[in-house]
Amino acid sequence: MVKYTINRLLSGVVVLFVISWITFFVLTVIPGDAALLSLGTDATPERLEALRESMGLNQPWYERYFSWLTHFLAGDWGNSLFFGEEVLTLIMQRLMITVSLAVFSLLLAIPVAAIIGILSAIYQDKWIDRLARTVMQLGDAIPQFWLALIFLVFFSGKLGWFPVPGFIPVEEGWWRSIQSLLLPSIVVAIGLVGYLIRIIRSSMLSALEQDFMLMTRVNGLSSAQAVFKYALRSAVIAPVTTILMQLAGLLAGTVLVESIFALPGVGRLLLVAVEQRDVILLQGTVMFITGVVVCVNFLADILYRVINPMIQFGGERNA
Amino acid sequence: MKKLLNALPVLMMVAILAACGSNNGAASTPAPTNNTAAEGSEAEVKAPVKTELKMALTVDPDGLDPHRTTAASTFQITNNIYDTLVKVSLDGEFVPGLAEEWKVSEDGLTIAFKLREGVKFHNGREMTAEDVKFSFERLKGEESPRAGDFANIVSITAVDHYNIEFVTKALDVALVSQFAYPWTAIVPEEAAEQLRNNPVGTGPFKLEQWVPQQQIVLTRNNDYFTPAKLEKVSFIMMPDATSQITALQSGELDIISVSGDAVPQFENNSDYSIIETQANAVQVMAMNLDNEALSDARVRQAINYAVDKQALIDTVWWGYGQEIGSHYPPMLKEYLDTNEAIIYDPEKAKQLLEEAGYAQGLTLEMYLPSSYPNYVAAGQVIADQLKKVGLTINIHTVEWGFWLSDVYTGRKYDLTVTGHTGRLDPYALLARYHSESKENYMNYKNERVDEILTQVQQERDEQQRLELYQELQQILAEDVPALYIQSPIGLTVTAANVAGYQSYPIDIYEMKDVYFTN
Repeated sequence: MVKYTINRLLSGVVVLFVISWITFFVLTVIPGDAALLSLGTDATPERLEALRESMGLNQPWYERYFSWLTHFLAGDWGNSLFFGEEVLTLIMQRLMITVSLAVFSLLLAIPVAAIIGILSAIYQDKWIDRLARTVMQLGDAIPQFWLALIFLVFFSGKLGWFPVPGFIPVEEGWWRSIQSLLLPSIVVAIGLVGYLIRIIRSSMLSALEQDFMLMTRVNGLSSAQAVFKYALRSAVIAPVTTILMQLAGLLAGTVLVESIFALPGVGRLLLVAVEQRDVILLQGTVMFITGVVVCVNFLADILYRVINPMIQFGGERNA
Repeated sequence: MKKLLNALPVLMMVAILAACGSNNGAASTPAPTNNTAAEGSEAEVKAPVKTELKMALTVDPDGLDPHRTTAASTFQITNNIYDTLVKVSLDGEFVPGLAEEWKVSEDGLTIAFKLREGVKFHNGREMTAEDVKFSFERLKGEESPRAGDFANIVSITAVDHYNIEFVTKALDVALVSQFAYPWTAIVPEEAAEQLRNNPVGTGPFKLEQWVPQQQIVLTRNNDYFTPAKLEKVSFIMMPDATSQITALQSGELDIISVSGDAVPQFENNSDYSIIETQANAVQVMAMNLDNEALSDARVRQAINYAVDKQALIDTVWWGYGQEIGSHYPPMLKEYLDTNEAIIYDPEKAKQLLEEAGYAQGLTLEMYLPSSYPNYVAAGQVIADQLKKVGLTINIHTVEWGFWLSDVYTGRKYDLTVTGHTGRLDPYALLARYHSESKENYMNYKNERVDEILTQVQQERDEQQRLELYQELQQILAEDVPALYIQSPIGLTVTAANVAGYQSYPIDIYEMKDVYFTN
């Protein structure tokens, strides 16, 4: 277990390093840089030259990468070229909003998906199952930005049930702050429900089909007892991993919703970083998100083992 | 299962707590705003006239340092924080700003300004001629993207506290206009290093808070010589148009910019006013004359004959735009109506193509910048109309960075749709047609045009200049290095109680004169 943990941690560091290199390299290769984007149609060769010089973009890319890397390793994430502010500050300002959005939408999506998913597995091909499949397809088919716009105009604009777009900081009251995230959370949740139902349903189905389920019936357990005591326990593994990965994915994946609801989250920060070719900001944000994904992955593996000790880790038996 | 159920909420709590904790730690920038609290108490006291205005922006400015960017998004805001020596009136006249008066020497090479006395920076120090000198030297400095524009100023002398002289090398007949642009803001030396995030100027408003991607809050500078009527102006970052409209309708915003399709929602509704303004800008489909076919004027003319501009404006801009025949916006006084030079006639287009030897057709590559949906739509409509006269257009929708590097500065394209913003000096708008201009991305070359552009810079007689500029417009209308589409009409919707919001010939949001009627 210890050896496994160390291995996983080491590979996480390698992943971070490789990703940082790729991001930097890709941004150097694609056309346009921060100086050009800042000048726009006012760009003349002299102006470009002057601005590149002052932004330090004239050094070769490997020198810039190395300089970024050494600073980063020393804990200095640098200042955004576009905002002028420290990258870490910018990320932290946005993190709470994005994490809240992700957590709220999962809190909304999980119970709904769990109930529908479990029932549709138990009552396979009955009406509840057909309903579940319809929900899945709807969830997959509805474009998120469209749903966001419709909800915004209808629930926020016409009915006034939710506050208008924009994030209300916690200083102005916890409840108001949560309210301002509610409608976007519902939109994200609807996108998640279909996917979660599918995972839960199929995971439950395969659990129900396993040999030990037959044994529980032979041993005289009622159908409900069997489901709750054994099937669920075995079925829960795949969804947990999925949910954790979704949580990590949502850190960067809610950019559309963040834009429409004018929420200053991590996704929009990432978007600006790419649009403005803000290499320093992009590096920092990508490192942060990758770091979270690596950690969550790691956590998911550990959880896997906690939930189901049957899973063995490679090499451990010899250790 | 039980372990799991215990673990999940804990994990989430940890995530939330971690996030909250770090957020508090990082909240070094702003003092918390209490907009809601303020509004609430006002209502109780029954002080009915609002003094806090909220306006939507789609993007953050490229910093708030006017000497270190060329982005319009910056100047739209910094105009309220800093002042310039000269200001421009609604109809494009030059009026006193920080300078009370100015005088140009006989030979036109020297301009002397007398400064307003007793003007204070937001940090409390008085603004003097030394600050003006410092600001222009900073603007001419190495890190300034506009340094080239001011290279003609060879010496700056602070005569005394309130008098300053600028000497130019070559004659610039529109010299005074150079002191009216928002990038010629006067800044204090002691704050210069931090201006990007902590601007200090002499303007009617000072920065209270800037939270990127959230809001910029300006508060009134009570020491200003003609104080603003509003106490507070907040620019709220809202990237999506529908969100902006919803927020205006629910009273959360007071001013937004809209596109033509949103107008019917506000028309004939006494809760809102719609302000239409003719922009100092032109939108064109540029042609690259490096392409052999496009170097032939007949092909370019054929393309112009083939496009029904009014239909194009109606489809893409919902009719909000004024048709143009040349590279000049109708709002400026030198404008010449050249719309008659080429009138929509697809038959004539086919005939011209045949004469030029392209009867069997021609394939052209069109590049459209994806961040400007209107230009993409316009390009698609144009391509469709060109197809009807036998041209094949391959459309490439490209990212803005690619457009800037490969299309605009790299000049690798046949056709592209874009816009050009005008300046206070007509020369700045037309200079790109000089065959040696670095901004001549159409690779246009016309001897008479070069001649005019050289001559007009030395011509001190206003009438002569006007004639030269009009001749130039006529040449472009006939030689058509581009398809001149329209001069856009800007649409601003305000709540009905907002008054005093006006549009200027330069791209600024002037908030000083805005007020609420109730």
